[in-house]
Amino acid sequence: MPEGPMIAQLDLELRGVRKRYGSFLAVDGVSLKVEKGQFVCLLGPSGCGKTTTLRCVAGLEEPDEGDILIGGRQVTGDPPWKRDIAMMFQDFALFPHMSVAKQVGFGLEMLKKPRAEIGKRVAEVLAAFEIAHLAERRPAQLSGGQKQRVALARAMITEPRILLLDEPIGALDYALREAVMLELKALQQRTGISFIWVTHDQNEAFSLGDHVVVMNHARIEQQGPPEDLLSRPRTAFVAGFIQGNNVLRGKAGAAEAGVLPVETADGRFHVPIIGAAPAPGSEVSFSVRAERIEEGENDLPNRIAARCTTVEYFGAFRRHVLSSGSGVTLKWDQFGALPPRLRAGTETTLGWRTEDSVLHA
Amino acid sequence: MHWKTRSRLTGWILGTVTVGFLLYQWLPIFVLGLLSFSGPTGGTTFPMNGVSLHWYRELWDASIMNDFKPPVLRSFLLALACSATTVVLSVTAAQAVRGQFRGHNLFFYLLLLGIMAPGILVGFGFALMMRLLGVDPSWDTTAYITHVSWTLPFGFLTMLAVFNRFDPKLEEAALTLGASRVTAFRRITLPIVLPGVIGAGLFGFSLSYDEYPRSLFTTGADLTLPLAVMAQLDRQLTPELYAIGTTTTLFSFLAIGVFTFAFWTLRRRVQPR
Amino acid sequence: MSTIRHRSAAAFWLAVPAGTWMLAAVVVPTLLIVWVSFWGGRAFSASSPLTFDNYARFFANAAYLRLIGQTFLQAATLMLICGTLGYCIAYFLVCKVRDARWRTALFLAFIIPFWTSTLIRAIAWVPFLGTNGVINQALMATGLTERPIEVFLYSMTGVTMAQVSLYTMLAAGPVVYMLASIPPALREAAMTLKAAPVTVFRRIVFPLTLPGVVIGQVLVFLNVMADFATVATIGGNKFALLGNLVLNFYEGSQLRFAAVAAVLLMGCMLAGVVLALRVVDIRRLGAR
Repeated sequence: MPEGPMIAQLDLELRGVRKRYGSFLAVDGVSLKVEKGQFVCLLGPSGCGKTTTLRCVAGLEEPDEGDILIGGRQVTGDPPWKRDIAMMFQDFALFPHMSVAKQVGFGLEMLKKPRAEIGKRVAEVLAAFEIAHLAERRPAQLSGGQKQRVALARAMITEPRILLLDEPIGALDYALREAVMLELKALQQRTGISFIWVTHDQNEAFSLGDHVVVMNHARIEQQGPPEDLLSRPRTAFVAGFIQGNNVLRGKAGAAEAGVLPVETADGRFHVPIIGAAPAPGSEVSFSVRAERIEEGENDLPNRIAARCTTVEYFGAFRRHVLSSGSGVTLKWDQFGALPPRLRAGTETTLGWRTEDSVLHA
Repeated sequence: MHWKTRSRLTGWILGTVTVGFLLYQWLPIFVLGLLSFSGPTGGTTFPMNGVSLHWYRELWDASIMNDFKPPVLRSFLLALACSATTVVLSVTAAQAVRGQFRGHNLFFYLLLLGIMAPGILVGFGFALMMRLLGVDPSWDTTAYITHVSWTLPFGFLTMLAVFNRFDPKLEEAALTLGASRVTAFRRITLPIVLPGVIGAGLFGFSLSYDEYPRSLFTTGADLTLPLAVMAQLDRQLTPELYAIGTTTTLFSFLAIGVFTFAFWTLRRRVQPR
Repeated sequence: MSTIRHRSAAAFWLAVPAGTWMLAAVVVPTLLIVWVSFWGGRAFSASSPLTFDNYARFFANAAYLRLIGQTFLQAATLMLICGTLGYCIAYFLVCKVRDARWRTALFLAFIIPFWTSTLIRAIAWVPFLGTNGVINQALMATGLTERPIEVFLYSMTGVTMAQVSLYTMLAAGPVVYMLASIPPALREAAMTLKAAPVTVFRRIVFPLTLPGVVIGQVLVFLNVMADFATVATIGGNKFALLGNLVLNFYEGSQLRFAAVAAVLLMGCMLAGVVLALRVVDIRRLGAR
């Protein structure tokens, strides 16, 4: 083996992909790298361009600009049937006129595999997905969970380089989702196939993804490992979209010793600077996670007066929702089985350490 | 060949077939219209020998042999009656099938039979029946009954399709708000399915207005319009026949226009945008 | 829960008027034809003896048998032409026309004639088909022929030409409906499973539109089998199909023979419909 620099092989690379429908910009300059065997989640509100991006990768949409490389090979302009991908659709898109066995074997049939081999592989895959007893059923005779397995088996049987999943568990009952998520994650790790999973549900994205891409208004807002996105949201949108963040807005003051004073309607707060300091007087925003907040009398440097509006109980923690003097909604999570400290209407003070706040770009 | 080129080529071929067929379908209608304006010496084909309203005037100053005005009136009245009957019966029939009474499957096929059974059989059989019963055929009795047996199934299928798409939760909401079944039907169901009802009415009108085979056996001495046209064709083909054909066709367009307008207006009212 | 209770008496009684109407106007008359076709004797009376004589005499005439064959042949020809044309048009309108306004416009241009009188549309073909007709004038003007061709008016070619324009809509309509109800994701799923467009059509689109094709074919079959008006208008009195035979016997006051011909017509049509209904469930068409 020749010694040399390790070049990480990419399963997928998008370079400045742009797609517009008439005057509507659906995907605006999206660049993304997916390493071999990575689990990537595209997360964002509906209409943010995540599904269009996925469809561009599948070849179902043609980007107006930019390049798409699958396994290092340029595929821009290639139709879907010439790409090394498989896709799972939102409502599973099972062929209503084919039995489960026929359906699952369809991909192999298209690859012109010999009939005997198709039969053998289908039997194996049906057994692996525990749907062998459904082989002769039609889609209309299947439950939601069964349909999901059939769709997955149909997509996986050709062992594609990348599996594209468009809200794959969105059509399932809530109770079923947790189990299916665990199974899919295990399957992905076992097979080493890259998954690109589109969802609007952050729990899915953060519990499954090795790499989470948050999109809004056709652009990527931030991408990285889930821990990064949770602890360091880079924009006000990401901070607001991810549950449990308090977002505050104000005017930047003069930075000093890596700390930026921010003047808001509820007073002055101190935020550590990442990179270059914003110009004094410019509009800035920052966020603090709800579990980093401390309530009551203390000597923390950042303090804000607020009145409790509601208290929600989540089992692991109790979330207090408060309203500041200027009307900003604030959240404070209290962990442990302690009796509630506040009730609706209680006036109190919230505080946090400077290093617990994150300045947005 | 590149797959996109092939797809575009398929599109062009199919497009040519479609446009070609549309021309094939419309050309006779246009030529009929054109020739109806030929001069007094014009024949039944080109050349037109001038342009005139001669044949329309002939139509208006009808001779005793071929006066189309009474047949037009009869056909119009008959079509209106069929339209009204179709609307009422198809709404009740479709509502009955929603209730899934015992035998609703059989009932469905019974109505379907009205579409499947050809007019010539229905007309002939009904004529035999009237003969056995000693009833003289007439456009406003026997023809009316056979016409409705033709228009009703179309209205019924329309209503069935409309009810299939109707969300019964709306009725349930009305019932939980204290409306009786009849009130809920009148105040909630009917206004929402009204566009479909209009469609059923259009079927009733236009199918009856143009009906020929059933009329042939069940209309007495007083002819309806299609019978009068056919009788005239048997005697002599003149541009006058083109004039009546053009008038009828324009009238059909007008009827479609009126019904379509009513349909859209009602639908806009029920589902804004 | 809805405005009509399940299996209630109200539902039954609501169905009674329409049911009675159809029984009286369609079922009883049809059964009557069957009965009359077995009548012996000469008087038109319910007390006529029953016999197979009418059928025996009908089948003894080879010309009538040939006529049944011709009727089927005509129906098969039209099913083939209208089916092919109709599928092409339906596919073009639903799958190839991207602009919704264009699609609506073309679709309207396609169906509006269907709402006008079939009889008038058949008559509209007459000026086209004659010896001096528009087609011959055009052929001679372009120099394709020197003398008028006489195959059009008063010929089955002319009848077929007119029937194609009358009945293609019947074949296309149900296909348009089925094509439009195929979720786009199904084609896309097939494409991501490595199926090229031709395969997607052959394995996914066409099988899913098959019920529409069958219904369209049934409609064309029924209409051509029973069509005597177009044959009479364009074929003159030179040609006859089974339907014309019924009418001719009826006008000649040979009611028993008319009944026999009608029963045979009914039998042929029934066989076609039963065959088709085994393939598709028409009642599921309205549901989403």
